[in-house]
Order: sequence, then structure tokens, then C-alpha cells
Amino acid sequence: METNLENLKTVAATFSEEIAGAKLDTPAKSEEFRIRFLGQRRGVIPKLFKTIPDLPKQDRRSAGQLLNALRKEAQTALESAIEQHRVKTTNTWDIDLTLPGRRSQWAGSRHPITLALAKITDIFKHMGFAIAEGPEIEDDWHNFTALNFPADHPARDMQDTLFVEEPGKGRAGAMMRTHTSPVQIRTMMAGEPPFRLIAPGRVFRNEAITYKSYCLFHQVEGLVVDEGVTMADLKHTLAGFARAFFGDEVKMRFRPSFFPFTEPSGEVDIWWDLPDHPEGGRWMEILGSGMVHPNVLEAVGIDSERYTGYAFGMGIERPAMLRYGIDDIRVFYENDVRFLAQF
Amino acid sequence: MKISYNWLSEYVAHEYSPEDLAHALTMSGLEVEEILHLGPSLDGVFVGRVVSVRPHPNADRLTLCDIDLGTGELIPIVCGAPNVATDQRVPVATIGTHLTIDDKVLKIKKSKIRGQTSMGMICAEDELGLSDDHSGIMVLSGNAVIGEPLLDYMEREGKKLNDTVLDIAITPNRADATSHIGVARDVSALQNVPLKRPEITIPSDGGETTQHIKVDIECPDLCRRYAAVIVTGVKVGPSPAWLKQRLEAIELRSINNVVDATNYVMYECGQPLHAFDYDRIAEQRIVVRESVKDEEFTTLDGKKHLLPEGVVLICDGERPVAIGGIMGGENSEVDETTSNVLIEGAWFCPSRTRKSARALGMSTDASYRFERGVDTDSQAWATVRVAALIAELGGGSVTSGIVDAHPGPPKATRLDLRVARVPKILGIRIPRKDILRILTSLGFDPQEACDTISCTIPSYRPDIHLEIDLIEEIARIYGFHQIKAQQSAPLPVSVPVTRPIDLLRERVHAYLNGHGFREIYTNSLLPDEQALQFSQAVTAADYPPVRTLNAVSRSMATLRPSLLPGMLNVMQHNANHGRRALRFYELGHVFHLSGHEAAFIENYSEYEVLLFGISGPVRPQSWDSSIPLADFFDIKGDVEKLLSLLNLDFLQMEPSVVPTDITAHHITLSVNEKWIGTIARLSDEIQAAYDLPDPVFFATFNWTRLALICEEQPAAVYSPVPRYPVVERDIAMVVDSQQPVGDMIKKIREAGRKLLKNVDIFDIYTGKGIAPGKKSVAFSLRFGANRTLRDQEIDHVVQNIVTTLSAQFDAELRA
Repeated sequence: METNLENLKTVAATFSEEIAGAKLDTPAKSEEFRIRFLGQRRGVIPKLFKTIPDLPKQDRRSAGQLLNALRKEAQTALESAIEQHRVKTTNTWDIDLTLPGRRSQWAGSRHPITLALAKITDIFKHMGFAIAEGPEIEDDWHNFTALNFPADHPARDMQDTLFVEEPGKGRAGAMMRTHTSPVQIRTMMAGEPPFRLIAPGRVFRNEAITYKSYCLFHQVEGLVVDEGVTMADLKHTLAGFARAFFGDEVKMRFRPSFFPFTEPSGEVDIWWDLPDHPEGGRWMEILGSGMVHPNVLEAVGIDSERYTGYAFGMGIERPAMLRYGIDDIRVFYENDVRFLAQF
Repeated sequence: MKISYNWLSEYVAHEYSPEDLAHALTMSGLEVEEILHLGPSLDGVFVGRVVSVRPHPNADRLTLCDIDLGTGELIPIVCGAPNVATDQRVPVATIGTHLTIDDKVLKIKKSKIRGQTSMGMICAEDELGLSDDHSGIMVLSGNAVIGEPLLDYMEREGKKLNDTVLDIAITPNRADATSHIGVARDVSALQNVPLKRPEITIPSDGGETTQHIKVDIECPDLCRRYAAVIVTGVKVGPSPAWLKQRLEAIELRSINNVVDATNYVMYECGQPLHAFDYDRIAEQRIVVRESVKDEEFTTLDGKKHLLPEGVVLICDGERPVAIGGIMGGENSEVDETTSNVLIEGAWFCPSRTRKSARALGMSTDASYRFERGVDTDSQAWATVRVAALIAELGGGSVTSGIVDAHPGPPKATRLDLRVARVPKILGIRIPRKDILRILTSLGFDPQEACDTISCTIPSYRPDIHLEIDLIEEIARIYGFHQIKAQQSAPLPVSVPVTRPIDLLRERVHAYLNGHGFREIYTNSLLPDEQALQFSQAVTAADYPPVRTLNAVSRSMATLRPSLLPGMLNVMQHNANHGRRALRFYELGHVFHLSGHEAAFIENYSEYEVLLFGISGPVRPQSWDSSIPLADFFDIKGDVEKLLSLLNLDFLQMEPSVVPTDITAHHITLSVNEKWIGTIARLSDEIQAAYDLPDPVFFATFNWTRLALICEEQPAAVYSPVPRYPVVERDIAMVVDSQQPVGDMIKKIREAGRKLLKNVDIFDIYTGKGIAPGKKSVAFSLRFGANRTLRDQEIDHVVQNIVTTLSAQFDAELRA
């Protein structure tokens, strides 16, 4: 076609119509539109601009104005389309808030025994008790003798002891500790009174594994030794503990018992409501305690005339089972995630 | 131990109901674990009056009776007893009643006996379980009210038909409470009423008895006393109903009148007794001696024993006839043919009895008592008491006198109680008169001096040695409930601070919980094979695991040397229950023989370990991205972050791609050549052995040592935060594809010196544009200082890094 203004006007009018009618409803169509009309190399409008020098001089100005207007139309259409797309993609209404959140991890958890231990140690920490620990393999002296268990005495039968081999000798001397009480001995051997500590830890009994017994369990031991400590102080501590652990309404009783390392010895029972029980509930033994036996103090070189003290010990699994309504102790050591996730 | 309420009440006139008694005993140190109600059920048995008696038309021995039960109409009963007569008051079991006769339950029904209707049963005493009497129907006194329940009548007559049995958990110190009199003594102290012991006259050593039996004690330390009496002309037979009832109440089986009498007296006073067939005792003599090794002996339960050395044996002139304090022998047992009975009442050493009983695997009522310590003064009393009882039951006669071999009678031991010491222990003042009353009723014979009370330790209290024991006796009878809890306590001067290891534990729990790990508790005891397999798993130390000596099962034979097998068991359990994503951790003790750790107990090393492990998808499922399976770099990243949290970035990491028995590849973490931990991929073989579908990665640490290192770290010191902008530069280096990147990072750090603050890797690329056998590693470098950095400065450092990498690793800067 010959290059003249009239032709140019016709072409521009055609393009103008096309621009006005373009449906730029997707970013792809907009891009296609941009390339067709405004593209640097092949866009039709830049191409038309390139024809201007071919026009007679007097028409060039009008042609420039004409094409500038056309380019403006294309740009406006494109910008408005792009704005449309932008609005559409950031539309704050267009979001499904019910989709689950993106979780970088599952929930982790602490074992219920850790939680129960923490709860108990926490209470005693608030009462000014320090924490001490000891080994799980013990010797006869720390586990029994220093705690006033005579050799060949039926008191030793209260705890089924698991012995371990002694290298090179083949005789039983070392054992898995049957209670956390040896930590009392180790602590008193290492320091001077006053003592005020609790010792949490794992203890062992040589028993078959059944729903109600396991070959190991966890204990918290407590020891206070100072001048002027009496059973009234012991009762104070135990009553405070029971209220903090079981609630202010707890009903407890303190009755005489026997442990070789305390004298007098007592056990604490708490009343546990059981709706199906003929008496509406029963007493549950939760801890053993007593005044530290003078033989124990003397064994670790403490003057039992000057110093008195009390000690107590409780299992963790039993109160935890009571609390959570667990009827099989083995679930603690099975570690099924469906169990662990409940605490 | 079982205690009968009725039996106990023979020795003390208390006012407790069975339930109150159980409570009072529990609260004074004899814990009642169970209360059992016993007795014949007389439900449905009423008092009736025999209105008329007529002969049965079809049977000579039967009669037809009309009975008035106060209901307004007479009921017909066919009766077979010869003594039935008009106007008698008799017990009548009505229709529907259950009677237990000779262990068989009989239900009373309406029936026809030889054509005549019978609507119940007139009972003899044995049919009601009241006695063995079957001579005729029971005839009641005129006090019986027609129509009343028989039980009401019996109680009005003062006959106890029902009993309550208290099952007491006897603590090992309370040897004195293993009998009815022993428990009654506590009751008498609690109620402040006297104890009534049967009156027995004990003859002094000598008399006719000594002509028939001689006793030699060769081991007087083990058998301090041996009393013997003979009962002649005994007819061995069943025990009478009252004795059976006593024994059966406490769940002892009735055997014959002789054996039952010895058991009865043992449960009465706590002294075990043995009855020999006197005619089977050779040479009319008893020798008490220790066994020699491998002596054979058959006890009366028919079991043959090969005895260890040092068991106390009761022998006659020729052979052993009993194991002292444990069980008699088959060769001298009393049976139906016995007519002369030799009774032994002895005292055997508690610790030796316990040792022998354990060695023989036996525990008897006798050994139970001797182990705890039998009254050192009850032998003659009990022997004479049982001899009289046997003579009464079996129609024999007791030889006069007694053999009472008593080589070294113990002297009475006195013990002083300082009155002022009582409140120092108990925290309350107990009135002196109460202290005296309690000590008196428990048998301590207190004598007052000014500041002290002097007591005599009774022969039945081997557990009392010290003043503190007396204080306990006072406290338990006075009542623990009287001790009032202190209302406030002084605050200690030295306030305990939380130990660093506890703070550290808390941080690790929080960290691991936040990273999706669940804490587990696993058994410290493993089957031996499992312990052996894993003993070298992680520490690379060559120490054998610790075996147990007396485990009840093979699955608890050996102490865990590693937490890993426990975790694998847990992973397997959860995988079996359909869980694919597994993330667990445990903190616990592990054990080795001898070893490298400072040991509490010589020859054993024990320390705490932290283990965490992962397997399966690395994150929860998501709706817009796919989730890869965990790999080595997931666990390594968790470890690096943890170390950074604990300010332990300086640990040395030594990688190894050489497989071990347990791992496919691993990194060892250490400080100064000391093993701190391992990060590893579990070997495919073990993964398969535990049925785990996905690779398992774990990290394990010597937690004890790690905690110590943390503790030794100097406290943090503030360094000012730089206020100047940082500059980032990226470089990509082409190196041999086998070149470990970790080494490059190390060199970059060295070359970058102080200005280089951080190195990250943002791409590792092989393929188009990179020569085969090469890879491109892209590093992002961050520079900073406490001043504004100039471009030339950075360019210089980057150039230095590139040069270093080129020189060290033959690396080329990627164009």
C-alpha cells in the first residue's frame, strides 16, 4: 500500500477499533496484546512510526499526532488490564481461610513420667529443697548397710533386689538400686548439715512385668537434716505437698509403718473417691516417710544427738496412674504415640 | 497375717467393732489390708415350736411334725431325729434356705418323703455348721421366741457364730505381732485394758520327762533354747469343731488334732512348735547341730533336699528328724498310728533361719516367725500349753516335768528414755503419765527416775534396741494424728539454686519438643543379645555390657549400653501401628563394665545419654507442597541448631562413610579428642530387622559430659552489635565432584578472616555447562565490620578466597 496520510488514518482507525475491542482478561492475553501493538521489534504501532519519514513533510506532524494517540490508546488499554490483573491476584477476599495451616513440624511432647516428676520436684523446689542425683548401679553399703538394713534381715525382702555381675569376681556385690535413698547417703557423705534436698530417679525391682508391676519405676526421695527438726516439720512438709499435688481438698492420713532407715516411720495415704467402690472410695498409699534413724546419721558421720532429720520417698508411676486413670503400668514403657500425645 | 476378731477378743476385753478395730490397728502400725466376714449363713433359719409329733405311716424311723413358726398356720415337716418331741423349740430351715453340710450345699425345697409333704427341715447342730453334733435335732432353750431368726437367739445366748478376719500386713520389725496375743497386746495398750494370757503352770527343768528324752544343743548360738515335753497315749484323729473353726477362719487347713494344736498355739502366742512321733525318735534323744555340706533330708511335705552347710538340724540318736525352725521330717511325722508325741518348742537364730530358708527355697509359718525373731522366753510356756491341749483333744497324758535346755539365758536389757528427747523427735509434748501408761501396757516395765524413764526390753521385742525405738512405740500408740503439723517453717539461709544440668535439660526438652520430638521412657534392661549387638554402637568404645545375676526373665538379662535399641523398639511398635513419621528422644542412663567415665561404683561406668532419632516424612503433610523423607541433613541440622543453642558450635565433627555394624555412615563429635556424640544413619540391615519402612537417622550424646562442657563455658560477655551495613557477595566455584564442601567452607573462613561473618551455600550444580566429573558450588558470603567497608577491601578479600580455593582444591571461578 502506498504510504500516505489517508492510508495511515485508515489503518490507525482499524487498529483503534481492535484496541477498543480487545479482551485482556488474562495476563497472557495482555502480554500478547503488548507484543502486537507496542513490541519494540514487531509491534504494529512502532512499525507505523517507522513509516513517518516516508510521508510528505507537511503530513508528518499530523501522522505523528495520530500515531501518538493510537499508542496512548494501546498503553491505556494495557495499563488498565494490568491493573485489573493486579487487583484480581491480590484480592483479600479471594482466600480460603479454612485450609489447614502450614505446619513446619508436628507437636512434640514430654513423657508423662517427666511431667509428673517435674510437678513433684517443682513443689519441693518452692519449699526450698535442692535437687540431687546418684547412680543407678549401687553397692550394698549405700543401698542397704548405711541405711540400717542388717545383713540377713527380712527387711531386705521388702525389695526384690536385682544384682549385677562383678567383673572378674563372679560374686554379687553390686546391684541396681532398689530405691533412691542411697542418694541421701551420698549427699550426706559429701557435705555438712543442714541438708534439704530431693532426689528423683529410676529404681529397680527384680519382678516380672505385669499390668501392675514393672522391673523398674521412678521415685522421688526427700531428706531434711538440721538442728531441731521434728515429726511436726515432716507432717508440715507432707501436708503441704499433698495439698499442692492433689488439691486443697485432699483427705490424707498419716499412720505408723516401718522402714529400716527411719524411726519413727510413717506412711501417708490419701482418700481416693471411687464411685463403684462399696465404701465410695479407698485409702491409697502414696508415700513412706519418717525421722532419719540415728544409725543412718552415725553411718555418715553426723552427730545424731545434735542433728535430727526426716526423709520421705514416693513412687511416681502410682500417683500418675491414679491421676490419669491408667490401669496398666506397661503403657508408660510402650511409648505408643497415641498414648504420648495425650499429655 | 490373718487375725480372727473372735479369737483375739479372748485375750483382751476391748470395745471395738471389727471395723473400728481394723482402723485402730492400722493407725497404730498394724496395717489391716482387708476385712473378711465369715460364718455360717443362718438366713432362712427360724425358731419354731413343735406343736405335734405323729408317726410316719410309711416309715418307722420318721415322724410327721407340725411346726408353728408364728405365722398363724402350722407347717408340716417330716423329721428323722429320734429326739424330736412336742413343745420343743427347734431351729427350722424354711423353704429356699441354703445349708452347707459336709462342704455340700443343700437347698431346702418343698418335697414328699415317702408320700408325706415336708415344707422344711428341723436342723441338727452340724447341719447349721455350729458343731459336729449329729446325735439329734438341736433343742433350744425356753428363751427362744417363736418365729425369730435363729441368729438373734444365738447372739442373745452369747454364742458367736460369725467372725471377722483382719488381714494384717506385718512389717518386718513386728515379730511380736505375728500372733493373736501379740496383736491383743497392742489392743490392750490402745484401749488401756489388761491383756489376758491363758494361765499356765510351767514346771521347772526336770521330772519324768527327762527320763524319756535327752536334749543336746551343739550350736547354742543358733538354738538358744529347746524345750520338750511328751504326751503319751494320744489318739490322733480329727480336731473338734471349735478348733477347726479357729484355724479355718485364718485359712489354715485342719490336719489332725495334734498338728492342729501346735498351729493353734503358734497363732495364739507366736511360738512355732513341732510334734514328733516319739516312738520314731531313736535313742530317746535330740541333738541340735549344724548340717554338713550335701546332707540329704526329706521334709514332711515329701520333698528331698540336699542341704548346704550350716543348716540347723534336729537329730535323734541316728539321723536328722527336722530342719530347725523351718520344717519337720517325713521320718518322724505324726500320723494316725502315733500314740506318743514329743513336742518341741525352740528358739532358732533369725539370720541363720532366713539364710537356710532362702537356700532351700522354703518359707513356712515357722520360718516366717523365726526370721523375724521369736520371743526368747515363750518356749516352755508354749510347749506346756500345747501338751495340755493335745492331751485334752487326744485323750493322752502329759509326762510330768519338762526338758528345758537353755544354755545361755539372755539377761534382761534395760534401756533409758530421756523424757526431754520425746518432743525433740516428735514435735509434741506427751504427758508423762501417758508415756508411762503406754510403756507399761506394751510390757516395758517403766521405772521413773528424774529425767529418764528406765525400761526393760520385753523378751518378745527383738526389734527394740535404742531410745528412738521407745519413742516410736510411744508415738504409734499415742497416735500420729496427735502430732500437729507445723504451721510455718523457717526459710533456710542457703537458698538452693537450680543446677546447671537441670536448666540445660529444660532447654533441651523445649528445643526437641519444638522440633516435633516426643519423649520416650524405655527399659534399662535388655535381652543379652540386643545389649551385645548395640554395645559398641555409638561410643566406639570396646567395653562389655553389664549382665544381671538373678533376673526373673531373659528379656531383662543385661543393662542397656545404649539407648538406641530401646528407641528402635518404640519405632517398630509405632510403625506396626501405622505411623510413618517417627521422631523420638530419650534421656537416660547407660552402663558398661569398667570404662572411661569417672565411676561411682568401681568397675562400672554409668552416664546419662541423650538420644534423638527420626524416620519417615520430615514434616507434616501439606496441601501445596510434597514432603520428602528425612535424610541425614535433617538430623544434622537439628544437631547443629541444638549445639548453636547451647553455644557449643566449637565441637569437632569427624565424618566417616565407612559402615559400622550399626551405622551406614556417621559423624563423630568430640572435644579435645573426647567422644561427645555421634550423628548417624542406621544400617539398612538393622532398619530391616526392626521392620522400619524408611531410613532411620539418629544423634546420640554423652549427656553427662556435654552438660559438664556447657557448665565449663565462660559466662556470656556482651559485645556491641555493629551499626554498619553488611555487604553480601556470591561466588560459584567449580571443583571436582568428590570434593567435600565442608573443607572448602573451612578454608573460606580462614581466607575471609575477620571481615567474613558468614558463609552459606545456596546451590550445588552439576550438568549442562559444567564439565563431567565436576560440580559448581555457589557460596553466599557476608562481610561486616565496625565501620563502613569499602568495595576495594571486599574485592580484595573475595579475591583472596578465590585464590585460596583455587590453590587448595583446584577450583575455578565459574563464569
